[in-house]
Amino acid sequence: MDLFLNLVASGLVIGSIYGIIAIAFAIIFKTTGVLNFAQGEVMMLVAYTSWSLATSLALPFWLLVPVTILAAALIGVVIEFVFIRPMSGQPVFSIVMVTIGLAITLRSLIIMIWGPDAAPFDASVEGGLIEIGPVVLFTEQLFALLLFCAVSAAVYLFFRFTRIGIAMRATAMDETSALLMGVDVRRISSLAWAIAAVVSGLAGVAFAVMFARAPDMWFQGLQSFPAAILGGLDSPLGSGAGGLIIGVIAALSEGYIGHGLKEISGFIVIIIVLMIRPYGLFGEKELERV
Amino acid sequence: MRTRHFVETYEKHVSLSHNPVTWSWALVLVLALAQLPMVASSYVLSLATTVGIAAIGAIGLNILTGSTGLISLGQAGFLASGCYTTGLLIADYNWPPELALLMAGVVPALLSLLVGVPSLRLKGLYLAITTMAFSFIVTHFLLYAEGITHGPYGVRVEDLNFLGLDLATTRGLYTLVLVTAILVTLMALNILRTRVGRAFTAIRDHDIAARVMGISLVRYKLVAFMVSSFFVGIAGGLMAFQFRFINVDIFNVLLSIEALAMVIVGGLGSVAGAIMGAVFIVLLPEATREALDLLPTGVNNMLSTYIYEIRGLLTGLTIIIMLRIKPQGLVGLWRDVQRYWTQWPLSK
Repeated sequence: MDLFLNLVASGLVIGSIYGIIAIAFAIIFKTTGVLNFAQGEVMMLVAYTSWSLATSLALPFWLLVPVTILAAALIGVVIEFVFIRPMSGQPVFSIVMVTIGLAITLRSLIIMIWGPDAAPFDASVEGGLIEIGPVVLFTEQLFALLLFCAVSAAVYLFFRFTRIGIAMRATAMDETSALLMGVDVRRISSLAWAIAAVVSGLAGVAFAVMFARAPDMWFQGLQSFPAAILGGLDSPLGSGAGGLIIGVIAALSEGYIGHGLKEISGFIVIIIVLMIRPYGLFGEKELERV
Repeated sequence: MRTRHFVETYEKHVSLSHNPVTWSWALVLVLALAQLPMVASSYVLSLATTVGIAAIGAIGLNILTGSTGLISLGQAGFLASGCYTTGLLIADYNWPPELALLMAGVVPALLSLLVGVPSLRLKGLYLAITTMAFSFIVTHFLLYAEGITHGPYGVRVEDLNFLGLDLATTRGLYTLVLVTAILVTLMALNILRTRVGRAFTAIRDHDIAARVMGISLVRYKLVAFMVSSFFVGIAGGLMAFQFRFINVDIFNVLLSIEALAMVIVGGLGSVAGAIMGAVFIVLLPEATREALDLLPTGVNNMLSTYIYEIRGLLTGLTIIIMLRIKPQGLVGLWRDVQRYWTQWPLSK
């Protein structure tokens, strides 16, 4: 039972990272219809930038977070402006291909700038073990869980109550009507990229603090696809919940069934889920006109 | 002035090319490629072999992604299953290489039904992710089912004799790849001009409309998957002959993305485009290496430690730039040049 609870806890921790990245996927997909294959790389870029800020400027953690958020927003806006904006009007297929190209470009650039070696992210929350009943967690792991809750709440409140959030939902629903109602649709796209970069960047920092700032961090982006699909690509909160589910399934299958299943259990789950519900568990079924 | 635009009968419409000039140039190209072993060094020859294998794989992927519009990020999975089928049949079961290469096409074609069946309900991005999931599952199986696949130890394939060709020599391998590539090209061209190929295009352009016109989506999507992965699997089988030692490490996500890059850069939906894209993407890192040698030694040494990253960077940037400035790909560029010269001096 202790093993089970500890597996569930570590699954929730890694699942919250998947969940946050999946929320970032869903934000961009919901507003622009593009699945951003470069989200993992954006996350990595933000985490590396934050690492550089933390080590070279020796910023304390409470200051590092807002600075990272600013940097991430800037990164998101710049990437959208340089790579995605010029593609507007092209078929979604082409834009998705651009994000695939962007993914390997960013990945290579990051390794060329920061080098191929991993480095510990030391600007961490005060380390230590926390015991909750039989479950033992590091402070850093608890931080990831708290971050997930905070991000989910913030995203929910943002889309539900703020003016910009409602404008973004309106754009997602019907771009032309939103335009007629006075929404600056072009700005919405860059805003979506900025928010996604911030959200996934925070996940990147949490991940780097837990493990290390390493050149294979982008793989977390691919690992989060099952989460986004499971929850439905057009539902940010559903995607977040999908992340937790995938994380727990991964940890349990690794612990009870076999070594190496952690990487692929999520993919097995989504193949099965997509066979039964092609639009994810919480996604909306699309009706198509011809 | 050559026009080539006037087609009067349906036979001419569906024929591969009704222009004898095209046929004669194709013949010249094939003859020139057949003479390559006489003149080229073994380095150039092995590079040409790599290009040929990549072209076969790209033609296969292009049938699925370019012609039928089903995005696949699972190329590495199909290549791996073809490669391991050939390798294991030869190494563990002593099959003749001719049959083993054929099975390299058959096994991925059957496996593709696993992805093909969910694809009937999935569209676009969901399908891309399913195929990627398939590729992860295949490599996982190859790595952990040690009893069947030798797992992390890899498979060794040696001393092969394919219909009298000695595959240990670069020349023998090159000949085999060239002949296979020509056969695959002809098969793909012929599939695409028949009813099946037109059904693929109709599904790509609008699948619901295609169904209304009487095209069975179930049947033709599955056929597209099987044909595509048959060709890709054959490319995988040839990879087993080329590497002689097969390891699961090379069948990663980057390989799938490079395959997609070949199809995009060459031009979606065109067999000639797939071949051009394969040539371009395979030769890009080689050309870069040559270019780096021209730089001063200090810069060169610094950059050569990141040769793998530079390769990724160039592939990525090529995809982005090509989609931005020439979505029709190299084959579109080629058509523009052709049009310019045939209409000269009236061309704009």
